[in-house]
Amino acid sequence: MSLAEDVTRNRVRIGTLLVLSLLVGSAVLALRFDVSPDELLVTVRRIFTYGFITRSLEMATPIALAAIGGLYAEKSGVFNIGLEGFMIFGAFSAAATMYFLGGTSPSQGHVWVAVLAATIVTALLTVVFAVLLIRYKADQIVAGLAVWFLGLGFAPFTAAVIWGSRSSPGLESVATVAFGQSPFVLLTVLVVLASWVFLYRTQYGYWVQAAGENPEALDTAGIDVNRVRYATVIFSGAMAGLGGAVLLAHAGNFVGTGETMVDGRGWIGIVAYLFGNYNPIGAAAAALLFGALDMLNVQFQTVGIEASARLVNLLPYAAVIVVLSAWGKTRMPSSVGEPYESEE
Amino acid sequence: MLEASVLERIGIAIASTALALLIGLVIVAAAGHNPARFAYQLIVGSFGSGRAVARTLRYSVLFVLAGVAVAIAFRAGVFNIGVQGQFVVGGFTTVVTIVSLAPYLPEGTIGGVVLVVVGTVAAIVAGGLYAAFPGVLKAYGDANEIITTIMLNFIAIGFVGWLVAGRFGDPEATATRTERLPDNVGFPSILFDDPNLSIVGIVVTLAVVALVAAIMTRTRFGYDMVTSGHQERAATYSGVDAKRMIVSTMTFSGMVAGLAGAIFAIMIQGYFTDPSGIGNYGFDAIAVSLLAANNPVGVIPAGLLFGGLESAGSHVQINSDVPVQLIDGIVGLVVLFVAVPELFRMLAQRTGLGGDAE
Repeated sequence: MSLAEDVTRNRVRIGTLLVLSLLVGSAVLALRFDVSPDELLVTVRRIFTYGFITRSLEMATPIALAAIGGLYAEKSGVFNIGLEGFMIFGAFSAAATMYFLGGTSPSQGHVWVAVLAATIVTALLTVVFAVLLIRYKADQIVAGLAVWFLGLGFAPFTAAVIWGSRSSPGLESVATVAFGQSPFVLLTVLVVLASWVFLYRTQYGYWVQAAGENPEALDTAGIDVNRVRYATVIFSGAMAGLGGAVLLAHAGNFVGTGETMVDGRGWIGIVAYLFGNYNPIGAAAAALLFGALDMLNVQFQTVGIEASARLVNLLPYAAVIVVLSAWGKTRMPSSVGEPYESEE
Repeated sequence: MLEASVLERIGIAIASTALALLIGLVIVAAAGHNPARFAYQLIVGSFGSGRAVARTLRYSVLFVLAGVAVAIAFRAGVFNIGVQGQFVVGGFTTVVTIVSLAPYLPEGTIGGVVLVVVGTVAAIVAGGLYAAFPGVLKAYGDANEIITTIMLNFIAIGFVGWLVAGRFGDPEATATRTERLPDNVGFPSILFDDPNLSIVGIVVTLAVVALVAAIMTRTRFGYDMVTSGHQERAATYSGVDAKRMIVSTMTFSGMVAGLAGAIFAIMIQGYFTDPSGIGNYGFDAIAVSLLAANNPVGVIPAGLLFGGLESAGSHVQINSDVPVQLIDGIVGLVVLFVAVPELFRMLAQRTGLGGDAE
């Protein structure tokens, strides 16, 4: 499947994605204001600025990273519903590493080390998760929820042990590199493209897909199905951890109150890859839609539209429901959720 | 876990809890606190005094009701992760209904009773409808209910929070909250001194457990629900409309969640606050239900355990330096272990304890 074919095949989806985002935006404006079409156009122009795009990309980055990870796990037959939890662990580990390396004013180098460390820590935690799922046949839904609860509990707990409060003090955020974009946005674009190539153009990508669609055939071909699944599940946790770390790097401090700073992004990541039909590029596009919806809030305030921040914050969640009801029937890999046991 | 025998389930539940608590104590020690002191405070904080017992029972009422709501859905093979949202919607509806109807009713006891009943029914209806929505989306749109209910939690919390802060806020209160319920609205405090615990709440909870257990095991509806959850094909052959079953299961589950919200609003709060800060009853209820192997009667001991943990948590928060979020982490560990019965089966076999489990 080439990229062009991919776009053609999904053009209805992609088209609707764009229309939907525009509709939601204009509907919100139209509902709140009794303005003429001309004025509306001017306002829309003032909202969709270059800065808006930059911030939307930044906002989409953690979601896209988690989505790519989750996509690989599910493609191989394991539903990693714990993405949200792994993102919380990632964000927290990054904050803790940054703080231990450079106090409240870490350098750029510290930020990168912290992101790397957070990814590794989360990957290690995911190893335990993967063993429970694959070796001990844990219920994937329940164990995934458990990861979320563990994140919600232990990240703020450890934060309180370190900083005496559920949230960290302010830590420096990243500088932008090229085109006024965060380096992590560029990193994510690379990851998305690489994941696409890897999944559809390499032998291993074929194994990943076979592990989810037809594990028996893969087993017959002499490939260890569970080994492939271990790899994808650990990768999914690592990516969610990286996503959390990037979120932290952009935000500049860890927030452990309420649903923590991750605040549902892991769940939206799951929806992003479902909507992207298990295609890394589609998942990233969906993540961008949710990121943009999230940022509308800031734009509204900049332009001086008095929409309630709380209500605008709900837009991504509402969009998820609309999207899921319209495309609930994404074709799941056929063996998702079933532990595989070799005949040997 | 549903395939396991009753004894085995109880064993797994106890082992999961014990292991989670043990790890919790290790973490307390690793964080530089005295684990023995922490364990002692858990016990004192949950049932060490009359006040602690009342507090434990108060939380347990909520955990049992919310746990039953989760159990109904899980039993039928539907994942209602949205109990928290239905709880919030129910509780808020109760308060709004009572506050807006109060001026039209007499101020005495009779008016109060009518208001409590009407408010509670409103919560049950609201909770049921809010759960029916993802049910319909799953049945007729094939939308994954795990994701939609989680999104609806976020929406309920945000939207009710917006209403409480704005349209329904009490302008005279410094905190973000609605108006107080009128003085004649509330449960009588018989038997307990605690102003936030009433025998009425406990009786209602036990009655709901009995009712749900009876519906699940003794009625056609309950039978169809459980069969369609575990043997969808068999249920379809015997003439059950699987799609409608999903919707009615979710509605039933949401009604109980809404009732839990009403009890929370009437018995405990007396008004409604910003729902982002009321506690994760609906989420912890998932753990409660799992621990009880989704059995409505089993939810009672599981709910008591969680009520005790929550109660101990508020004691620990005041009397110890150990950050109280540890309790949430322990809850997560309990859920994790409950998900892996296989682990305990192997452990049991290796150690020879209850090794005949297979």
